[in-house]
Amino acid sequence: MSGVLTRSDLEISAAAPRREEPMPLALRGASKAWDKGRVPVLDRVDLDLGAGAKVRIAGRNGVGKTTLMRIAAGLIDPDRGRVEVFGFSPIERPERYQRLVSFLPAGDRGLYARLTVRRQLDFCARIAMVPRREVAARVEEAISIFDLGELADRRVDRMSMGQRQRLRIAMTFLPWPEVVLLDEPLTSLDGEGAALLYGAIERLLGEGGAMLWCSPAGEHTDFEFDRTLMLDQGKLVPA
Amino acid sequence: MNELAANASAFYAVIRRDFQVFLSYRTRLVSQALTTVFSLTLFYYVSRLVHVEGFTTPDRYFGFVVVGIALVGVLYSCFSVSETIRQELVAGTFERLLLSPFGGVRGAVATAIFPLAYAFLMSSITLTIGALVFGLELHWPTVPLALPALLLSLLAFLPFGLFFTALTIATKQANVGSSWIIALLSIVGGLYFPIALLPAWAQLAAKVQPFTPATELLRHFLVDAPMETSVGLALVKVVGFAEILVPLSLYALHRAIRLGQRRGTIIEY
Repeated sequence: MSGVLTRSDLEISAAAPRREEPMPLALRGASKAWDKGRVPVLDRVDLDLGAGAKVRIAGRNGVGKTTLMRIAAGLIDPDRGRVEVFGFSPIERPERYQRLVSFLPAGDRGLYARLTVRRQLDFCARIAMVPRREVAARVEEAISIFDLGELADRRVDRMSMGQRQRLRIAMTFLPWPEVVLLDEPLTSLDGEGAALLYGAIERLLGEGGAMLWCSPAGEHTDFEFDRTLMLDQGKLVPA
Repeated sequence: MNELAANASAFYAVIRRDFQVFLSYRTRLVSQALTTVFSLTLFYYVSRLVHVEGFTTPDRYFGFVVVGIALVGVLYSCFSVSETIRQELVAGTFERLLLSPFGGVRGAVATAIFPLAYAFLMSSITLTIGALVFGLELHWPTVPLALPALLLSLLAFLPFGLFFTALTIATKQANVGSSWIIALLSIVGGLYFPIALLPAWAQLAAKVQPFTPATELLRHFLVDAPMETSVGLALVKVVGFAEILVPLSLYALHRAIRLGQRRGTIIEY
């Protein structure tokens, strides 16, 4: 039994009799308040992402977009409500959940400054439990897709911010997730980097994956989304 | 089987990461070897002053203390995991482990392996320098037994580092008490002088932690120091502590991570 779920595994599991087809990503009544007694940053949020969905969440700074993404990624728990990926909860089945989801956090953190690009990708593949015989191929694939060939043996602390962001995006797509969560992915990217990102997203969607993107209101992107939602006062509303 | 291989691969990735980061700081090994040389020099001359019951010659005390110095390094390496995890929280790389199928608990345990292996290397260097430069007399017939004894000891010591890692994840401070605990364990574990010199109540403290039997075993195997108890009893104590403390520390680590996720503080640093 391979450590990684394939899409056909998921189809088989989805074909079994169930009351409800599991969505790639579903938030049900998710609420989060950072300070007790204050207005919750997320207030009973519902969100469904079907196969092939490409949804953007926009909103003012500090409105709770990153909190929503962190909950969806299984990094933090909602105070109330549930999050599921293909019916799996990050609390009850964290390992299974993390095999299916990949999260690009906002900012430039999450990299080992003293490791080279290739070593960083190799590390990422292995902790993602990519089967050992596939690790090298996945690393080379990520280097190729994100045009990191010239940087492959360069240490991260000797790279520009845009190059680092390209590496972070490569690490997000490397494990072949079913759902990607991209928090402000265009940060520091040039047009070429953005085009590589869009290409990777389209490939994922073409294989039945789903993508949730969040960015500040007013940010320009050439990417076309199915839906754009606004997060405002803890609620998701159509933009 | 594939699952086991994937886990082994992830452990290997963490160990190799730490090794490569270590190698990128080129002067670290030399600097630490020099520290060892100076510590040994200091205690070599201190040993010349020692003329007490229990140590028939100054060289007996020197042998006693060299093993203690080697073990202090191991002790520090166990506690260094919490500092590493603190740095990972700041850099956002612990988040990457948490959001991987490998997970935070296995990630933290894997993070402990390289420092322990490095401490083992430094201990070997300490003993080698002690033997080659200062004439430390190793008891070669039993020296090979020190290796399994040390591995068992590491299993008993590691939970202390994991408990502190759990505390670090909960409080975001790496050194909450670790320095004084290492100093305390050095005293009650008999690393620098025999615990028989301690007051009775402190000798009791020496009996309720794994450092004392581990130190005693290693001294016996390495420099043929006499034992307070039998080898078998000391082994039983070390294994017993490991058996109790390893699952408890893993549980504490898991609870600390879950608490941080529930409260949302796992993202803080």
